[in-house]
Amino acid sequence: MSAVLVVLLPALPFLAAVLALSVGRAAPRLVAPTVITGTALAWLAALGLLAGDISSGGANVSVAGPVVPTGGPRLGIDLHLDGLAAVVSFMVTTVALAVQVYSTGYLRHDGHARPGPRYPSYAALVAVFTAAMLLVVVADDLFVLIVGWEVMGACSYFLIGHHWEEEGARAAAVKAFVMTRIGDVGLLFGVFALGVGAGSFGIRDVTAAVLSGRMAASTLTAGGLLLLLGVVGKSAQFPLHSWLPDAMAGPTPVSALIHAATMVAAGVYLVARMDEVFLASSTTLVALALVAAITMLGAALAALAQPDLKRVLAWSTVSQLAYMLAALAAGSYVAAGFHLLTHAAFKALLFLCAGAVAHTVGSTLLADMGGLRRRMPLTASVMAVGLLALAGVPPLSGGFSKEAVLGAVEEAALGHSPLPAWAGWVLLLSALATVAVTAAYTTRAWLLAFEGPEAASRAASHGVPVYPPTDPPASMAGPMLLLAVPAALLGLAGLSGSWLPSWLGRGGPGETGVFAAAVEHTLSFGWVTTVASLLLVAVGAGGTFLAWRSAGRTDPALHLGRARALLTEGFRVDEVYQVTVVAAVQALRAVPAWVDRDVIDVYVQGSARTATALGRVLRVSQLGQVQVYIGMALAGATLVGLAAVVAR
Amino acid sequence: MPLLLPLLVATGLFTAGLYGVLARRNAVLVLMGVELMLNAANLMLVAFGAWLADTLLAGQVLTLFVITVAAAEVGLGLAIVLMVYRQRRSIALDEMTDLHESRTAGLS
Repeated sequence: MSAVLVVLLPALPFLAAVLALSVGRAAPRLVAPTVITGTALAWLAALGLLAGDISSGGANVSVAGPVVPTGGPRLGIDLHLDGLAAVVSFMVTTVALAVQVYSTGYLRHDGHARPGPRYPSYAALVAVFTAAMLLVVVADDLFVLIVGWEVMGACSYFLIGHHWEEEGARAAAVKAFVMTRIGDVGLLFGVFALGVGAGSFGIRDVTAAVLSGRMAASTLTAGGLLLLLGVVGKSAQFPLHSWLPDAMAGPTPVSALIHAATMVAAGVYLVARMDEVFLASSTTLVALALVAAITMLGAALAALAQPDLKRVLAWSTVSQLAYMLAALAAGSYVAAGFHLLTHAAFKALLFLCAGAVAHTVGSTLLADMGGLRRRMPLTASVMAVGLLALAGVPPLSGGFSKEAVLGAVEEAALGHSPLPAWAGWVLLLSALATVAVTAAYTTRAWLLAFEGPEAASRAASHGVPVYPPTDPPASMAGPMLLLAVPAALLGLAGLSGSWLPSWLGRGGPGETGVFAAAVEHTLSFGWVTTVASLLLVAVGAGGTFLAWRSAGRTDPALHLGRARALLTEGFRVDEVYQVTVVAAVQALRAVPAWVDRDVIDVYVQGSARTATALGRVLRVSQLGQVQVYIGMALAGATLVGLAAVVAR
Repeated sequence: MPLLLPLLVATGLFTAGLYGVLARRNAVLVLMGVELMLNAANLMLVAFGAWLADTLLAGQVLTLFVITVAAAEVGLGLAIVLMVYRQRRSIALDEMTDLHESRTAGLS
């Protein structure tokens, strides 16, 4: 029974997408019910699996498919569902369902009763996106995982480029595709290295080989670092992060999907699923920790100065994903999974709220908002829940999961984990600084969008309809309210230290490996970090509020002075890439151009010139005089005759 | 009958025809040269046919074919000559070089 549900989990949204595309043109009316039904059925399947997981204390369902004859390491089309996969797949389907329902309202043209002409392909792509993520979640073979991983990359390209008539959207789609692809190359070679090293591409075979110490240390380190490259690309971490803020050119529900449930979550999930590979090599672990430390603080600082509400949320996603990777580097996949869940809930909620605001204001710029609390009371209240959760205020979900992450990192700093203690300290200091900055930018976003005076230039500057902003229709408000519940309450799952470790458990022999003693399988909250982070939240939020007051209720980021431009452009990382990577590629491009022009073309054109020159010689005899030709023919015939006679 | 005599006559005819084809400018006279050459060939066919005493009479049969072809050929040729004369008021062969590629044109 469970095995069937595991297969149905990715299959149902995919079938719904195929159906929706095939009926899309003939009966556009049926598209929304089809995809929503498919996603809802997948949600029910995930619910069933989650119930089994919670009741049995760790799911362990395997589906063995056919084995591909590779002639080398074993490659089987296998699926496996453990506790982590059960919980994450429930989270994915929940967010996907909310996004599908919300999209029916969001993609409605102004004044039209039904969604626009691009809706069928959009809805089908969102469903395929969901299916691909679910395939990644339940994959038990690294190549099955890569299939889902790549399909997600393609879907993100199409969905970010949804408004393909806009230059910015096209560029953002290409950027997202190319940058994640750089990481995917690393992932592919990491899979080769680990698969050959373990003699099988099965995920559990690889982790078992790592635990039993059968894999060579160099293979392990190389494979782990290459996997990390794939994770960095997909989860938008430091060297390959800049595609995510640009991806805001896509429709807002897609942003909610990418940031909360699919795509970026896949990278974190992969590390959590294969954390034995990372924990077994201290080089990989330190690299992971440093990437997380740099990304979380840098992205939070960049979020502080963004003029656009969606870009604030995008940078905050980059920062929060780094939190999860920090927990994984510290050795606690339970804390990382906890933060993954709560982040999915509140970030999806925040994006849906931002979409509701953008839908009615006609812009995502913070300067066009202001004073929306009185105009959109419902949106403002759920947005407040989301922002407080993001800032990590304890009664809400983000507060608990962030404490769990900080607790895990503190353990690492004290030397209770495979991570070297100095890296743990770097991570802890960076995480604590990020707490304050996170509180600051959430406060700023709230003050600029919902408090203060209304933007006077709203209608004039963007040519949007002149009507006062209002709360969104029921199809959009419903998913927002539903997501507000887990965004507020999910943190309570961390109240008992034994619940989450049991729900997220592997349910297999992996738990009793050589790392069982070192790896945190429990949640730990440290009093020091808790008090420190609460104080830092208060400092960050209070400081921003005072800055807002003293700046005359305008943008508190004005106090940043000259640093503001630097932060707005995300530390100008893109410009660095422009002068290094892009310029290097452009320079390298000259080499094949030279070979083509000065080597290959010389032969081609040389043969043409030779033929022309020879033709010129022969042309001398072509006088146009028939009698000359006949004379030549006679001479030729005579020569042939003579030759025949002589040859005898 | 000795073979030498008809062969000598045929060679004389062929040479006279060849001279006409190669040397004359007038297209009608060139056609006449062609006829002389064809008839030299006919003469040789008949002569060799008699010398070999061929029971199938292949030489004489071929001669009949050649006469037919020659009649058709000269009919067509004279028609062309007539058309050329109507176009250009001249049937000088060395002036008919229009199909020749001009000196200035050619591959670039």
